[in-house]
Amino acid sequence: MQGTLEATQYAFRKDVRNNSIVREVDQARQRELWESVAIGLLLVALLLFSAWQHFELLRYGYRIEQMQQQRATEDEISRHLRLEVETLRSPDRIERLATERLDMVAPGLDEAIVIERVVPPEAPPSSLVAKR
Amino acid sequence: MAEETASSAWRRIIRTRAIGLAIAFAVWAAAIEARLVDLQVFQRADLQARADRQQNRTIAAAARRGEILDRHGRILAYSVDSDSIYAVPTEIDDPEKTTAALCGALDDCSPREREALVERLKRPKVFSFVRRQVSPAEARRVAGLGLAGVGFIKESRRFYPNRELAAHLLGYVGIDGNGLDGIEAAYDRQIGGRPGTILIQTDARRQAFSRIGRPPTPGTTLELTIDGGLQHIVERELRAGVVENRAAGGSAIVVDPHTGEILALANEPTFNPNAFSVAGEEARRNRAVQDLYEPGSTFKVVTASAAIEEKVWSPSDLVDVSGGMIRIGSRVVDDVHSYGVLSFTDVIVKSSNVGAIKIGLRLGADRLGRYVQRFGFGTRLSPDFPSENAGIVWKPTEWNDSALASVSMGYQVGVTPLQMATAVSTVANGGEIVQPRVVRAAIVNGRRVEVPHKVLRRAISLATAAELTTIMEQVVERGTAKAAQIPGYSVAGKTGTAAKLIDGHYSRSDYNASFVGFLPSRKPALTVLVVIDAPKAGAYFGGTVAAPIFRRIAEAAVQYLGIPPAISPAPPVLVLRRAAADLGPSSPVATVVPAVAAGSRAAVVPEFRGCGARDAIGALARLGITARVSGSGVVVAQDPAPGSLLDPGASVRLWLGRPVASGEHPGSQP
Repeated sequence: MQGTLEATQYAFRKDVRNNSIVREVDQARQRELWESVAIGLLLVALLLFSAWQHFELLRYGYRIEQMQQQRATEDEISRHLRLEVETLRSPDRIERLATERLDMVAPGLDEAIVIERVVPPEAPPSSLVAKR
Repeated sequence: MAEETASSAWRRIIRTRAIGLAIAFAVWAAAIEARLVDLQVFQRADLQARADRQQNRTIAAAARRGEILDRHGRILAYSVDSDSIYAVPTEIDDPEKTTAALCGALDDCSPREREALVERLKRPKVFSFVRRQVSPAEARRVAGLGLAGVGFIKESRRFYPNRELAAHLLGYVGIDGNGLDGIEAAYDRQIGGRPGTILIQTDARRQAFSRIGRPPTPGTTLELTIDGGLQHIVERELRAGVVENRAAGGSAIVVDPHTGEILALANEPTFNPNAFSVAGEEARRNRAVQDLYEPGSTFKVVTASAAIEEKVWSPSDLVDVSGGMIRIGSRVVDDVHSYGVLSFTDVIVKSSNVGAIKIGLRLGADRLGRYVQRFGFGTRLSPDFPSENAGIVWKPTEWNDSALASVSMGYQVGVTPLQMATAVSTVANGGEIVQPRVVRAAIVNGRRVEVPHKVLRRAISLATAAELTTIMEQVVERGTAKAAQIPGYSVAGKTGTAAKLIDGHYSRSDYNASFVGFLPSRKPALTVLVVIDAPKAGAYFGGTVAAPIFRRIAEAAVQYLGIPPAISPAPPVLVLRRAAADLGPSSPVATVVPAVAAGSRAAVVPEFRGCGARDAIGALARLGITARVSGSGVVVAQDPAPGSLLDPGASVRLWLGRPVASGEHPGSQP
């Protein structure tokens, strides 16, 4: 009988049903949140754009440098070729080829008649010259 | 309660761990912050400097040396990059082995150079040139060796593609790109340009990605008055003349008497400016402007000009040359030939020394001295030759009779070939001293600016110049310079033969033989001077040594420049600008045979159809008939028809076109 007289403990479990409670959306806070996200995204975009510009600048810098080197190389090849052309056009060389290899002779005054002298117009004292 | 205790303990543990993590994170963050502050604040200057050294390089960009062109724009001097080989001695383990390999690849590696290179490679230096400005073949061979510590840099090297052509005028450039002689030295500052400064930024791999700074200013390009083709002609004939006469050397100058432009200037011996260091000083000396010589009888032009201008003598006056001998104090001067009485003109034509002395004595030291200076002797004439010799002219107040006599016949006065050419050009252009020059224009940044020609002063009047021209024509026609005659061209000139002064005495074996003249004499286009130093092949007179060289130069020059003959020139050729329409078939090639010899009153027009234009025009010119030509190709039609009679001076019309299959005849005109 004593054992049965022990207190019966009860645990009241409250059956809390919050289903019907809906938290109201805080529009202002929501708006602030989205604005923050947007600002953050904008800042990130700006940073990314700035970084992209920087690296594009570097990339173009490399490209420009490479092209300038190529241009300088081609320019130098052109100069070497021009020098070679002028060497081949040397009057002494042409005369030696003509007389020794082609058996040509310079015409005398009685063989070549000077009929008329073509005089090119005089250049003005100051003029523009096309670049080679 | 138990639950509560468990929960509290859990919370405490979590909190403790959270605090620990936070502390660790804070320490880590603080460490990073501290390191950042250390790097970016305290070590900033040092790290910045290191970064600058690694990333930024400032280099001096060498300026490209300007070109030197002839009057037609042909290159005479040009710079291109060439490889220079360098070594880093600190990276070379075995200098002897490296030197042996390099010498095997290089041309002309002498034992002395080999020793010097070994010494340089043994020194603890970071840079040493092995050889500068090597040929592409040498560079390729050295690169092929793949030697450690050996590299290449580009340096600008000067080339003269025509080798010896105009060598004395152009000068040459040293290994550091500085002009050392000639135009290269005279205009070194302008041609050299101005170096620039470039800041290059490189990455970790030493690749450049940015380049800013002041670019170099390229040097000025100089256009000379020299005609490359004419220069070659003059050099060729001068060399042949010096060799033929076994002379010590010579000079030849061709000048435009109206503008003072030097069209050609040659000296013998000469040198190759591409290898100037192997040439001796004798070969590199510009005799035409540096060497003095006593002009001898060519100076009688000055004496005669002064006499006529001062109206002391006239060309028709008679001069008693005393049988070809005159005594002045203890001195006796004689002529080569003995003449009795000569006209003033004949004194010059026959080149009588006695006659010239008598003219000079009547003129007087003061007046003759004045004209010597007026003609430019004793002064430097051209700004383009810094090494030009002013010459030696005594002050007239110091001339006694003997000195006056000497000067009258071209002795006791030291002149350069350029001064003599300028003096005779004065006669050719009507009496004005025009400054001789060799720079025609300067081209800077694409803009060509001409150097205007400069008249220094009037030396003699137009009338005196005309009289002198007539006298000098007769020198060539019947005097001492018959060897200078050119068929079809009137030449005016004067010979000169002067004994050389050696060790204070006039030599009996060494002479300067000279001839100076201009042509065509009535409308001069060229003044040509030839001076031959000590001819030893037998003849030594100006008329026999220098005059033939003048003739060969002048003949080739008038052909090259297209200067028409002054005597009986061929009639002009008239050419239509618009090409005629294709006139269809023509007959096969025919041979042009003049029907009547030149000089007859009427000529029979030959058959020209099928002939080239050149042959047809030449044949007509020889007949004295004018050719009117239109179109291009061979003659396909002519008017009048073959076989017609025409008077000299009449004209024949020729149509040119493409030749077609034989058997079809187009008729005599379209």
